[in-house]
Amino acid sequence: MPLLTLITFVPLLGAVLLALAPLKDDRALRLGALGVTLVNAVLGLLVWQGFDPAEAGLQLVESTPWFELPGAIAVNYSLGVDGISILMVALTAFLMPVVALSASGHVKQRVREFVVWLLVMETGMMGVFLASDLVLFYFFWEISLVPLYFMLGIWGGSRRLYATVKFFLYTLAGSLVMLVAAIALTYQAGTTDLARLTEWAGMQDLTMQGWLFAAFALAFAIKVPVLPFHTWLPDAHTEAPTSGSVILAGVLLKMGTYGLLRFGIAMFPMAAVEAAPLFMVLGAVGIVYGAFLAMAQTDVKRLVACSSVSHLGYVVLGMFALTTAGLRGSVLQMVNHGLSTGLLFLLIGMIYERRHSRELDAYGGIAKVMPTFAFFFVFSVLSSVGLPGLNGFVGEWMILLGSFEASPTLAAIAVTGVIFGAVYLLRATRLMLFGPVTHEENERLPDLDAREIGLLAPLCLLCVVMGVMPGPFVERTAPALDRVEARIQSAREQLELAATLHDAPAVAGEERTR
Amino acid sequence: MNPEILNELYAGAGAALAPLLWLAAGLSAVLIADVFAGLKAVRPVLVPLTLGGAAWSAGALISDPAGAVLGGSFLADARTGAFALVFLASAALAWAQARRYYTEEAPFLGEHDALLLTAPMGMILMAGAQDLILFFVGLELLSIPLYCLSAFRRARTESVEAGLRYFVLGAFGVALFLMGAALLYTLTGSVSLEGLAAAKELLASPMGATGLALLLASLFFKAGVAPFHLWVPDVYQGAPTPIASLMATGTKAAAFAFLLRLVPALPAEAGVGLGLVAVVTMAIGNLGALGQTDLKRLFAWSGVAHAGTLLLVIAGAVAAGGTDHQEAVRNAAFSATLLYVAAYAFSAGGALGLVAWMEADGEEYRSLSRWQGLGTVRPGVAAGMTLFALSLGGIPATGGFLGKWLAFSTAVRAELVPLAVLGALTSVVALGYYLRIVVDLWMRPRPEDAAAPSAERPLAAFAAGFSAAMVLALGVAPGLLLGRLIG
Repeated sequence: MPLLTLITFVPLLGAVLLALAPLKDDRALRLGALGVTLVNAVLGLLVWQGFDPAEAGLQLVESTPWFELPGAIAVNYSLGVDGISILMVALTAFLMPVVALSASGHVKQRVREFVVWLLVMETGMMGVFLASDLVLFYFFWEISLVPLYFMLGIWGGSRRLYATVKFFLYTLAGSLVMLVAAIALTYQAGTTDLARLTEWAGMQDLTMQGWLFAAFALAFAIKVPVLPFHTWLPDAHTEAPTSGSVILAGVLLKMGTYGLLRFGIAMFPMAAVEAAPLFMVLGAVGIVYGAFLAMAQTDVKRLVACSSVSHLGYVVLGMFALTTAGLRGSVLQMVNHGLSTGLLFLLIGMIYERRHSRELDAYGGIAKVMPTFAFFFVFSVLSSVGLPGLNGFVGEWMILLGSFEASPTLAAIAVTGVIFGAVYLLRATRLMLFGPVTHEENERLPDLDAREIGLLAPLCLLCVVMGVMPGPFVERTAPALDRVEARIQSAREQLELAATLHDAPAVAGEERTR
Repeated sequence: MNPEILNELYAGAGAALAPLLWLAAGLSAVLIADVFAGLKAVRPVLVPLTLGGAAWSAGALISDPAGAVLGGSFLADARTGAFALVFLASAALAWAQARRYYTEEAPFLGEHDALLLTAPMGMILMAGAQDLILFFVGLELLSIPLYCLSAFRRARTESVEAGLRYFVLGAFGVALFLMGAALLYTLTGSVSLEGLAAAKELLASPMGATGLALLLASLFFKAGVAPFHLWVPDVYQGAPTPIASLMATGTKAAAFAFLLRLVPALPAEAGVGLGLVAVVTMAIGNLGALGQTDLKRLFAWSGVAHAGTLLLVIAGAVAAGGTDHQEAVRNAAFSATLLYVAAYAFSAGGALGLVAWMEADGEEYRSLSRWQGLGTVRPGVAAGMTLFALSLGGIPATGGFLGKWLAFSTAVRAELVPLAVLGALTSVVALGYYLRIVVDLWMRPRPEDAAAPSAERPLAAFAAGFSAAMVLALGVAPGLLLGRLIG
């Protein structure tokens, strides 16, 4: 069974069917979307089952010729999953039913369009994580911009048009530079197959690797977003409908970190070693700066959006520490951030649907009125700040450990971010949930209903599972990441060798002049 | 003339000229049918029949090239055949859009259709021309019908003005061409492209360079490349929309088809210069389009930007001259140009077709503001416009994306990487205005005073649907359509 093709294109098929289906009833459309995403979740489970944790290379590979570029370069439609992508595929498959279910709370108009874009989105995201051909990857990479653009632009908040266009153009600017690099890479190497490209790229000198790395890294750094490129994110998050925010935080941003890992570090190891200090600094600064941004927010959604900048700083920091713990931790943290930030956005969406405000001041004492909501909110906050026993702890701990090996100073700076993170999230929790009920209209807010609990519970369960036994998750990523590490190690040796060779003639020359 | 010489001259010319013969026969038939009242009924069938026949014989050239005929001045190879298909598709789209488009001019549709069938003849001659004389014939055969067609709505000042402007500036462009050709002939004693390519050293002299520059200037004028682009927005705006569509897609494609033929005659050093002109054109076109509120002007400026991208391909082909991968890059330049103009023909042709369709509900539909919220009342039209806009912007799953990929890859392979990067960045600006269309269509409410457009035009709808299918097919399965030609 072509499992990966199915998991990629079943949503698209569902989107086409729902677009054309003669259904008048919004409820039926919603159920249809939920059904399709559930089918895909089952497919995701099958992929997870079929994935061999001991194997480092691509698995479940499917490949057929697609078309030929001038210069007789065959482009293949080829999909595969490995340790770098398996968690992301699973996360996407798992999150989408939740998103589909959450949508009935805040998407009341133009439901058909919404479910279509939602499903197209899933196809785009799966394609990005599964593509093992450069052209196919780029294809999905750019296409995945479009659905979110519509979701933001149609169902977003009041400043949505500004936010959508900003989001689209920022990402596109990076993507187009990557396009030129991808073309250069294709023609230098004479192939578009990612495995062969990686092999070829590893043999190039530092200049070639450096330029290509820079172009690819720019695109991904904008997507993550790494610090100086982060300004689109709070706008996009704040204006997006809840489901858009969850997808954005849960999966789309991970496309950036995933790209940095697969195309930046794994493909151009020498350049990555050279650029690592810069990225580690950007990551560490991002952690602290994001935290300060979050502290200054009065809008709780914007606060969580800024906390994303901070949390993704950890991922970047750990990744570019280029150590075993750092790499594993950052891949794990990609999932963790998706879960806990996804939860927070869902909860903020739920309270917004009741109260139509996201200002912290508008709340207070909600725990008395909505105890279930308060429970889930506190749970999510604790997961987000990395309480031991929940998912966030394992990832953060591994990242800090890994980056300490590479740079104790930066690790120390990053640790302060953990504290600041606790400060702003707990402050928000206190202002919203505890104390007296300061606003009269908050007294009769209905607590969460069965649907809402039903969509939050699976995420919370997964948070606990990942916190208590991260083994199954880490072990699936380990072989592929070990291979990346081996490449980095050999790149380091090459660089050292080059440095000694470079110094040697100079020394000899000096001796001669003497 | 000695009949034997004639025999030799026209040997094998039947198959080579078949697309032209179809068009010539068809336009004659249209004119005759226009005269006799009894034949009025067959007129609507004649044009698609002619275009279909021409396309069939052009398709035959791809699988079975007829080679050089007419004493070597017209080369009917697979490339000519492939470009001919693009021209014929542009003409067919323009014809489909023109049905029920004209109101007071409707009695003169016979002339309109005859002129519409003449223009592709000129385009095909341009694409297959092997010497400057035949090219000139093609250029005039293309231009003169378009001068008339631009001014076809003779009761309207804007249309007449567009025709006159295009004519006066076109005459100027033609003069540049003749001057350049004369200089080159004086210098090399040859008007054939082969002869020019063989006399490359002579062309490096100031006189040769001037001649080539004048030649290029006239081609840039037709294609709308900066700094010869200023007529484009005014003429497109004033001309009837179907004609603007034909000018945007067909004329541009024909100019670039001939530029590809001209590449061997150009010195490799000119590559970087051409690339700079290309990037400047892209920047000017995209910045120009950014502030437009009239859709026809917007697509005109965007057409200038697309001409810039196509010129980047030519620049790559020129810059690769003399290197060991010259042939590879030039073949790639051909594939890139072909795919790009094909995708552009269906995207821009489709988009302008939708404008023409909506104009039936009032000319205010030329203004983007009238399209606000159209997604809620006419989802099909809005979806089509969205697809065409995304294709023009080069978003994947559309032909525009693959065209962009191939275009930039030609430049990158010719080592014009910085220019490719600059060009890529200008297309971010392009998305700025293409997205504005999408924003207006789907993300803004319908203006209170705007009634839902009601005009049903089955043929225009069919043309738009066909364009949309082609845009998607070129983007998702390019091998199906162009497999034989690409690679």
